[in-house]
Amino acid sequence: MSTLTKVLVVLLTVFSIFLCGIVVTYVANTHDVRERAKTLEQNLQRTRARQDAAIASEEEQKKQLADTKASLGKQVDDLKLLQGQLDAQIDGLKRENTQLVQKLTDMAAVVQTANETLAKMRDQVAVAEQEVTNLRADQANRSKELEETTQALMERTAVIADLQRKSRQLIEEKQGLETQLNQVLQQYGKAPARPRIVTPQRAIVQPVQQTQTPAPVAQTATKDIGLNGRVTQVDMKNHVAAISIGSAAGVREQMKFHVIRGDRFICDVLIFDVDADKAVGVLDLVQTEPQAGDLVATNL
Amino acid sequence: MSPIAQTRGKISPPSNLYTVILAVAFGVVLATAAYVTFACYTQYQTIFTMPR
Repeated sequence: MSTLTKVLVVLLTVFSIFLCGIVVTYVANTHDVRERAKTLEQNLQRTRARQDAAIASEEEQKKQLADTKASLGKQVDDLKLLQGQLDAQIDGLKRENTQLVQKLTDMAAVVQTANETLAKMRDQVAVAEQEVTNLRADQANRSKELEETTQALMERTAVIADLQRKSRQLIEEKQGLETQLNQVLQQYGKAPARPRIVTPQRAIVQPVQQTQTPAPVAQTATKDIGLNGRVTQVDMKNHVAAISIGSAAGVREQMKFHVIRGDRFICDVLIFDVDADKAVGVLDLVQTEPQAGDLVATNL
Repeated sequence: MSPIAQTRGKISPPSNLYTVILAVAFGVVLATAAYVTFACYTQYQTIFTMPR
């Protein structure tokens, strides 16, 4: 065998092994094309089905979109109509606002006028309060003067009562002296001469109670009336007392009240000053010192 | 068996090495063809025609 033949044998063998290795490797790495084709065809069918479904869905969505668009268009029309109505309402409200502003301005003017009037009235009230204060001060002064006058009157009444008491004592002394004189003159067969009245009698001041004069008309009247009350104040220094009833109950000047405490007779009160709800009188025939709370009555 | 050897009278023993090599190459080619045939038939159910 020649060398060339040997070389060719070796080369043939090497290339055959190399080529067979390549073929085996290629075939071993080759996948099943038919299966792949089936798979691709199935995928294609699925994809077409999806495409059909997508197209149908797209059409449906387009239809829904058209419906929605129509609905929205209708809503837009309604909203435009509502906008027109609202614009009209806004115009009306603006007009009302203008009118209200005008009214507010007028009312502000009225309020301002009222405030000014109120300020004037307050000034007048202040002036009136000042006048009231002055009048109260004047009233207080006059009340004070009245109290002083009343005090002076009570003092003078007390003096009058004292003088009356002295007068009664003098009358009693006079009667005693006249009795003694009559007895003496009767022993000698003579009659006493009547005394002349030097001092004329005054019509204003009358003695409270005289033994020779009959009871005054007022006493008869008080007995007819039958008033009852209580002693409220007693002033033994001036021999005067105040009782709880006055002209409203029928008390009049020159009325005579009997002061009693239980069954005891205390004194008499001859009224000389009468108010609506109280009266003041001079104490007479004092048996015991009267006290506030003793009963007074015209009839025993 | 070369002419030179024949001419010189030297007798060389016959060598079957290259025959073995050729046999191996043939076997390899044959095995490859069988494998390819088996693979085509298993995947396409045909050997010489185009698969449908």
